[in-house]
Amino acid sequence: MKSTRPITIALVASALASLALTVVYLRGGQPQAEGALLAVSLGGIAVALVLIAQRFLPHGPFVEQRDVEPGAPRERMLAEEDFDRSSDEIERRGFLGKLLGVAFGALGLAALFPIRSLGTKPGRDLFHTPWGPGVRMVTGENAPLRLTDIPVNGFLTVFPEDATHAADAQTVLIRLADGDLPPGPPGAAVEGVVAFSKVCTHAGCPVGLYQAETRELFCPCHQSVFDVLQAAEPTDGPATRPLPQLPITVDEDGYLVARDDFPEPIGPGYWNRGR
Amino acid sequence: MIRKTVGWLDARIGGSAFTRHALNKVFPDHWSFMLGEVALYSFVVLLLTGIFLSLFFDPSVSETVYEGSYEPLQGAEVSDAYNSVLRLSFDVRAGLVMRQIHHWAAIVFVAALVVHMLRVFFTGAFRKPREINWIVGLTLLILAMFNGFTGYSLPDDLLSGTGLRIAYSIALSIPLIGTWLAFLLFGGEFPAEEIIPRLFITHVMIIPALIIGLLAVHLAIVWRQKHTDFPGPGRRESNVVGSKLWPTYAAKSAGLFFAVFAVLSALGGLIQINPVWLYGPFEPQQVTSPAQPDWWLGWVEGAMRLFPAWEIRALGFEIPNPFFPAVLLPGITFALLYAWPFLEQRFTKDLEYHHLLDRARDHPVRTALGVATTTFYLVMFLAASNDLLARWLGLEVGHVTLAYRIAVFVAPALAGYVSYRLMKALLLSGAETFREMPFAALRLKKRPTRV
Amino acid sequence: MVLGLATLPLLLVACYDRAERPYRPPGIADSAVPHEGRTLYLRDCAWCHGNAGGGTSRGPDLVTGTNGPALNHFMMSSGRMPLENTGQRVQRRESLYTDEEIASIVGFMRDFDARGPEIPEPDPDADLQAGLLLYQENCAACHSTTGVGGALTAGERDVAFREGPSLVAPGLLDSTTTEIAAAVRAGPGTMPVFAEETLEDDELSEVTRYVVYLQDPSDRGGAPIGRVGPVAEGAVGWIVGLGALLIFIRWVGTKRGEL
Repeated sequence: MKSTRPITIALVASALASLALTVVYLRGGQPQAEGALLAVSLGGIAVALVLIAQRFLPHGPFVEQRDVEPGAPRERMLAEEDFDRSSDEIERRGFLGKLLGVAFGALGLAALFPIRSLGTKPGRDLFHTPWGPGVRMVTGENAPLRLTDIPVNGFLTVFPEDATHAADAQTVLIRLADGDLPPGPPGAAVEGVVAFSKVCTHAGCPVGLYQAETRELFCPCHQSVFDVLQAAEPTDGPATRPLPQLPITVDEDGYLVARDDFPEPIGPGYWNRGR
Repeated sequence: MIRKTVGWLDARIGGSAFTRHALNKVFPDHWSFMLGEVALYSFVVLLLTGIFLSLFFDPSVSETVYEGSYEPLQGAEVSDAYNSVLRLSFDVRAGLVMRQIHHWAAIVFVAALVVHMLRVFFTGAFRKPREINWIVGLTLLILAMFNGFTGYSLPDDLLSGTGLRIAYSIALSIPLIGTWLAFLLFGGEFPAEEIIPRLFITHVMIIPALIIGLLAVHLAIVWRQKHTDFPGPGRRESNVVGSKLWPTYAAKSAGLFFAVFAVLSALGGLIQINPVWLYGPFEPQQVTSPAQPDWWLGWVEGAMRLFPAWEIRALGFEIPNPFFPAVLLPGITFALLYAWPFLEQRFTKDLEYHHLLDRARDHPVRTALGVATTTFYLVMFLAASNDLLARWLGLEVGHVTLAYRIAVFVAPALAGYVSYRLMKALLLSGAETFREMPFAALRLKKRPTRV
Repeated sequence: MVLGLATLPLLLVACYDRAERPYRPPGIADSAVPHEGRTLYLRDCAWCHGNAGGGTSRGPDLVTGTNGPALNHFMMSSGRMPLENTGQRVQRRESLYTDEEIASIVGFMRDFDARGPEIPEPDPDADLQAGLLLYQENCAACHSTTGVGGALTAGERDVAFREGPSLVAPGLLDSTTTEIAAAVRAGPGTMPVFAEETLEDDELSEVTRYVVYLQDPSDRGGAPIGRVGPVAEGAVGWIVGLGALLIFIRWVGTKRGEL
């Protein structure tokens, strides 16, 4: 006689756990208790069911025949005949079938067009950012910046004024160490302060890690390394293009401003990026 | 009482014959055949917990001020989506445990699907007449992976938002249509406002509907063709041996459902997953390190880290770098997977019906190719955590990446070769298990000593 | 005699092993004059950094850049300094000194006239929410949103006096409040500098308070499994989740050859 004891224990434990779960819930809930009690409550039933199956239910082995080949050629032939019934009428007027095809095809094509409503046209959106000549540089709180606001080896994320939510305009501002030769074309840097697009040219993650000792920007997503002293040229990892450098200067009030937008599209590549 | 109800139904719908047939249906009950059920029941748990979550989640990126009970974020401007997930996690009773069970269920769901697929592959269960189900099953896997991605991107937190940015860039990288595809999918330039609501409807309606539909087809085909089985005592191509659906198989299967739910509940309450309050809300200029997607996308992430800085540029046009590891590789992967039953048929010229399964050793070439391929994706998967490994072992992350770049070619070749030799040796030695196999068998030359 | 010869190498090894940090030339005894800043400095630091912090061929000066009380305190409090030898990696270890000794050495080093930042005194009641915002914006990229730290690139450029490159942005979970604030101001190693121009004192207090919070954050969901994200979660899901269920189905189902 196989014992029912373990099954009884499992089911009683389950019921008690369910009860406890209700109490826990009524008293405000607690995630660990909820999960553990639910596990006991469900697990008890699980164990009980399997034990019942193993001990008290018929387990054969039972045998059933199967068709090695599921298909039935004769039935298929009869089905084909049924399907082809009175198809001669249609076949004699072949152009009807063709016209139906044209109508369906045209409708299908028209039906695809709502897809166009899903988004805006890319156009030249990817080619520009809100930066432009004279646009002031601000912090995330829209506060303008002076040169004195960034110390040697300082690293800041900056935006164009009034565009602090513009994801494509995110820019890193770095003051190089004394003695570093500022990279980029003449006029791009100002007094050892340089600015580069923060959007990784590989897959678009913000390049938020700056290593001041080696003047390298490091992207955490796929480990691209950009050498700031070589104008953010990628020196390791899968990135193939440098981070575009934002040419900056100081306006007459002493605030940092951009001289122009980035010289090339920021961020990851797309098929017509070079045009 | 049950008898009366059944009688009432039968008088109106009929179907007693079908019921009899169903109750007596025989199912082989080898333990490895239950992997599909583990996946199925994980999906059921996903549906149950998902319904609860969907009653609270707010699929909107409109800004709101967080005023819930998580102190560090009180007063912060966050999106409605993020706010609703925080609310679920801290201020809705059972909210956090439901969220966590849901996410653990997704992890186990895809894991079970992959192991189930490997079982089907290595036992040759995809052979005629089951090619259709192989295709349906693969599609289910893709849908599951996709739904997992859309799901964990819903809370609009910093980690998943970074993943969305990468997804956007991958779409951009597709030649000719990339920019349009990204703009139409997301609704504009990144981060477009449309994406969270669209992910939501994809995640709770479109893909689950497809999954349920395909699941029904998958199970119906198994029902119709009857399950395969390993060769063994009393088993033939022309029969099925096992337990009857009612009561034994149903009881065991129901037990399995409760066990799946129990394990997922334990995980959901006891082990923290996706603590979005610690990750912070998504801001496009912020990022965290380490940054990885959920595990089933690890192979794509790893491929992106391993693939060198190559891209194709000509005449102002380009095919950017991410296209190769993140579009071309997965495309080829799934194309080959879909085609496999037909490719194997072509190579083996085997057009027979098969209802009895292979053991891995019965088909050493298939096994070796499967092991090699699995190793290939496994190495890429491991490469996705190259920065974590570098940190834990005190190595330079560049060196770890280089090691993986070598391993991704060497390891599969080695694993494939070793498994081929082992399978061949096992087969030709006639032993049942590895332990019984004479060591000399491993040094087999082309001509075996024993057929 | 044989026994003596046999024990000699052991003794030598033992002596070598007992030569503790810091690196100093043989002959300078591990003297018993604690607390006195000047003596400690000359005993432990001067060999590499020079008697007046001017630097030597073995170590950088302690006067230029952000060198100053904050950096000095940080280095000694976190056990990064003194090093055992010049090639050793600079990383957190148990500090060699007591708090009084550190204060004493820092006091002595003020004579070097370094112009780096003072030891900050962050306000422990600063705004936590503001701290979170600042942390996410400025710190999370290197140190992780959860403060567990992250990998860095090894560096293409040689760094003076450094044989081993900076491999990590370290975890912050073991740092004291002063260490956190001091590091932010002084930008040790490869860390950028967040001076008062960039981060005001009240902002420094806020971000410091948030880092302290991360040392004991809300783990309402259960065991935090390292707070590194999906990698650990995937591992647990496979090993614990699928693993448990594999055991279960082995129990429920038959094995091959069984009837």
